[in-house]
Amino acid sequence: MAKHKGRGIATIEYPTGMNQNGDPSQAWVKLKPDGRVDLFSGTVDHGQGSRTVHAQIVADTLGVPFEWITNDNTNTDSSAVCTGSFASRGTFIGGNAVRFAAEKARERILEIASRELEIDPSDLDVIEGEVIAKGAPDRKISVPEVAAAATWTYGELITGTGAALKPFADVNDDDGSVETEPHSAISYAACVADVEVDDETGEVTVERLIQVYDVGRAINPMLVEGQIEGGAMMGLGLGLLEQAYPYYPETDHRGDEFGAYLAPSLEDLPDLDNVIIESPSADGPFGAKAIGEMANNAQPPAIASAIHDAVGVWVTEMPATPERILRAIDAKRDPRREGKRVVFDDELSVRTMSSTGGNGFLETDG
Amino acid sequence: MKLTVNGVEHDVQAPQLASLLHVLREELDLTSPKAGCQQGGCGTCTVLVDGEPRRSCLLPLAAVEGAAITTVEGLGAADELSPMQAAFDEHYAAQCGFCTSGFLLAGTALLNGSPGATREEVLEALSGHVCRCTGYVKIVRAVEAALHGEVHPERVEASFEPEETEVLIPGSPA
Repeated sequence: MAKHKGRGIATIEYPTGMNQNGDPSQAWVKLKPDGRVDLFSGTVDHGQGSRTVHAQIVADTLGVPFEWITNDNTNTDSSAVCTGSFASRGTFIGGNAVRFAAEKARERILEIASRELEIDPSDLDVIEGEVIAKGAPDRKISVPEVAAAATWTYGELITGTGAALKPFADVNDDDGSVETEPHSAISYAACVADVEVDDETGEVTVERLIQVYDVGRAINPMLVEGQIEGGAMMGLGLGLLEQAYPYYPETDHRGDEFGAYLAPSLEDLPDLDNVIIESPSADGPFGAKAIGEMANNAQPPAIASAIHDAVGVWVTEMPATPERILRAIDAKRDPRREGKRVVFDDELSVRTMSSTGGNGFLETDG
Repeated sequence: MKLTVNGVEHDVQAPQLASLLHVLREELDLTSPKAGCQQGGCGTCTVLVDGEPRRSCLLPLAAVEGAAITTVEGLGAADELSPMQAAFDEHYAAQCGFCTSGFLLAGTALLNGSPGATREEVLEALSGHVCRCTGYVKIVRAVEAALHGEVHPERVEASFEPEETEVLIPGSPA
């Protein structure tokens, strides 16, 4: 009986948004008379930080400070449509919608500023809340002054709308085949899991997870880190603990209370090493791809692989519960015969245990 | 009976065996303690009873008569965060926020009771709380920062920089 160390690796790719089409996101940006910016988008922020990320995208696209942006997604009745926060689409598709809206609002800012400065819009830039003539930085007007001029001088509203939608797929009516760009953008990730497996109890301890994520562009690295760390624990739960229906599709033994469903706790927290790789996408906002859903995809296969490395058995059903691991080890332990000798698998320390339930004393080879 | 919550004495009408959680949420309209598992397992209903973290879902009203109850509403205000709240804000230790009240109060009790707690003691103090998002790394870091006095309440906005994650940009000089 012993504890065995093992290391496993898994790599994944993950698409952002829905394949083909059908998941639009819309956004609306407008300037208050004092230059502050109202952003209306429907993307739901359930803690992953999409409101922050969208406000950052709008601030950087417009060229104004982040603090000037108010992101209002609170009214489901009047909000711009967003298909939802799923499929890792919040930053890529929702983010593109707010970017397109901000680009149009920026054009309007330049247009009004052009009238005030009497300089062609193409010769103007917006930097840190000021519209500045390219090459002549002393010729400038602040965005609040532009918004005030639009409101009080010209009787206009500086606004912009944007929407993101995957183009419809071409369907061949003759043979039904579909031709489309496969995905919006593909994110990549790799996970290394170091585990310790107790071959007597079947318990697995994940000691360390090294996780590398290509997110295109980490618009808010701290939020990305939060997703990676959270995903690590969720993936650990999927790989080792969480099981709503142990005998699926039978509903017997289904948990009917909180304690019957094992979610990862602080006790399960391994050492985490996270690396963010920025390999920009061609069409995401500022090169962003996604982090959301893929954050908990790589750990279960990496852990399964590490278990194999540790005790030489493949657990092919998740979660890798102690029972499944012990059954797999037991199956592997079945002794083979070489003539009159009974030989156990040398990889496992089974010297003192009979896999036949105590039916006689058998010796291992070597 | 009389119940003192966040320094204010209330005359509560609920029966003696009503849970403290129910009284706080339904009668006193203090909704920071969340009704999670309601079996004492998830930690999100935690309040401080005379400074000690307790599961309010398991406490009958009769058991807390005369005690001083603290909820998150009694910790700080939006423009004047408590040190633990400021640390949570600074370290992005709340995602969806459902577990946050319980962690904040467990952390506050630790800060008040044993400010020199080791990392193991921090983990022990927080271990009965479940975060499904799951932000344990940043929650632990926030509590440790508060214990070490490394808090900047004047910083309302969280930093956008990752705290430990390395960011690699292909093609850029290392």
